Amino acid sequence: MMQESTTNSSFRLAAWKWAAMIILIFVFIAGWIVPLKPGIIKVTPDRAVAGEMIVVDVVGYNSFYLTDTTKLRAWLRLAGDTVIQAHHIQAWDDRNLAASFYIPSVFPVRQEAYPLTLVLDHGSEGTSILPNAIFITPASEQDTAEMKLWFRDKIEHVHEKAGIQYPFRNILSETIRNTYFHVPMWFCMIILFGVSAWYSLQYYRNGDIDFDRRSVAFIKVGLVFGVLGMVTGMLWAKNTWNAYWSWDVKQNMSAISLLIYAALMVMRSSVEDEMQKARLTAGYNMFAFVLLIPLLFIIPRMTDSLHPGNGGNPALGGEDLDNTMRMVFYPAVIGFILLGLWISQLVYRTDKLKGNL
Amino acid sequence: MNRILNLVATEARIELRERSALSGIVLYVLSSAFIVFSIWKQLPPKEWGLTFWVIFLFCSLMAVLKTFGRESEGRYFYYYTLYHPLELFAAKVIYNLLLLVFIFFVLWFVLFVMAGNPILRIGWFFVTGLMSAIGLSFLLTLITSIAIKTQQNASLTAVMALPLMIPLLINILRLTAYASGTTPDENPWNEMMLLSSIISLVIGMSLWLFPYLWRS
Repeated sequence: MMQESTTNSSFRLAAWKWAAMIILIFVFIAGWIVPLKPGIIKVTPDRAVAGEMIVVDVVGYNSFYLTDTTKLRAWLRLAGDTVIQAHHIQAWDDRNLAASFYIPSVFPVRQEAYPLTLVLDHGSEGTSILPNAIFITPASEQDTAEMKLWFRDKIEHVHEKAGIQYPFRNILSETIRNTYFHVPMWFCMIILFGVSAWYSLQYYRNGDIDFDRRSVAFIKVGLVFGVLGMVTGMLWAKNTWNAYWSWDVKQNMSAISLLIYAALMVMRSSVEDEMQKARLTAGYNMFAFVLLIPLLFIIPRMTDSLHPGNGGNPALGGEDLDNTMRMVFYPAVIGFILLGLWISQLVYRTDKLKGNL
Repeated sequence: MNRILNLVATEARIELRERSALSGIVLYVLSSAFIVFSIWKQLPPKEWGLTFWVIFLFCSLMAVLKTFGRESEGRYFYYYTLYHPLELFAAKVIYNLLLLVFIFFVLWFVLFVMAGNPILRIGWFFVTGLMSAIGLSFLLTLITSIAIKTQQNASLTAVMALPLMIPLLINILRLTAYASGTTPDENPWNEMMLLSSIISLVIGMSLWLFPYLWRS
């Protein structure tokens, strides 16, 4: 009888904890299952000489070229509205097709080499783009009459694929899903460190040892989230920047912020007196949190960085985060923050129980 | 103010009573400059700046480390009854500031003799040095006051202070690059603003927190 009553009472969870679980389940399912829009992975050949007929083999991603081959259209775009259209398109299977283009021997602009962007449109499967797909070397003999082969109009009547998909970006491709896991980790870490600094301030005012316990619990969990953010970021960087660690300013600053809090934990372990420990923790914690602000929010913005959101790279609000992704990203941020607060509370309670033993 | 200066003078007297103290710092600067120089063999302007600040950071850490270690516990108790914690803090910061400025000039002289002087805008370099001495003396004094309460204060000072120094260091390096003309950036005022705002953050926080951390 006793056991029954305890299980009953411990099973009551606050509404926000249920919300956290439901949101995170949604984030994990939607974040992993929703497919990407069709894209182009590779084009061969990737360089050609002007004034010749070329046949381009295109390898697609999540593409369905065989669905309705008559609806396929392809262009090579020079810049802005200047395009040439494909003469003929032959789809071999859902992932491979061949498109033939005649590259005019003259170009509207004069350059050493001309990078052309491949644009592919399918009536029901949507548009896919590969920037700088083919590099054209200028022809030795230029025929000015071929200037009229360049169309000066927009690529019109392109199609959007129906249904819910995430955008396909070159290089990023499937790693775009990392937005839902990597970014919320850092948000959560900052929030947890902020809450911890707040509890340190409370300890500074009241001197109640309970606030110290709370602030340390939040630092511990914040450190875990920081490490997770770093690991997810490094895995992503291996796939996109081709190195786990490339001494990017964002990587450095986040590693330093983890070092600061790790130092705090080391400092705690080498003080014996409880009150002394609590006071030093509160002081150092507030000091560190204030210095964290220029470290994480100002200095990375003043330096060139490869990281999305820096140095002209798109990030939140840019083209990488479209409305479909927002539907998962914002819940992910809220869900992970709630989860972080929840775990910190649990850590605080177990620490308190251990202290009372 | 007079009381603070008195404390600074006492500090200096205690330090100068031991010959090894100041000459130890000078030797530390010399030998680390020598090691770095024998690794690099020559110092182009960019590496000159980096070397300068790396040596400066470690020398200042070493010099400031014994800020609170010089006197016995009993004397601190005595100070505690006589002075306000902020007076004590101000005295320690002023003394450390003088020490860092001393290190700055010794190191500059040593590197000047060893590797020449690539600094084109010498005024900017000295201002940067003064700013960094102010920022680091506040930061290091606060951190040593925390670390002295622990059992392994030497290593903990480094562990706690080094990551916190980095925001300062990044701006200092940029300003040094401007002073030695190794950056195309022609407007150092952004960095100067950022550096001075970080330093004022450090000063404000340490003035607020020291009296609290000091009582025990």
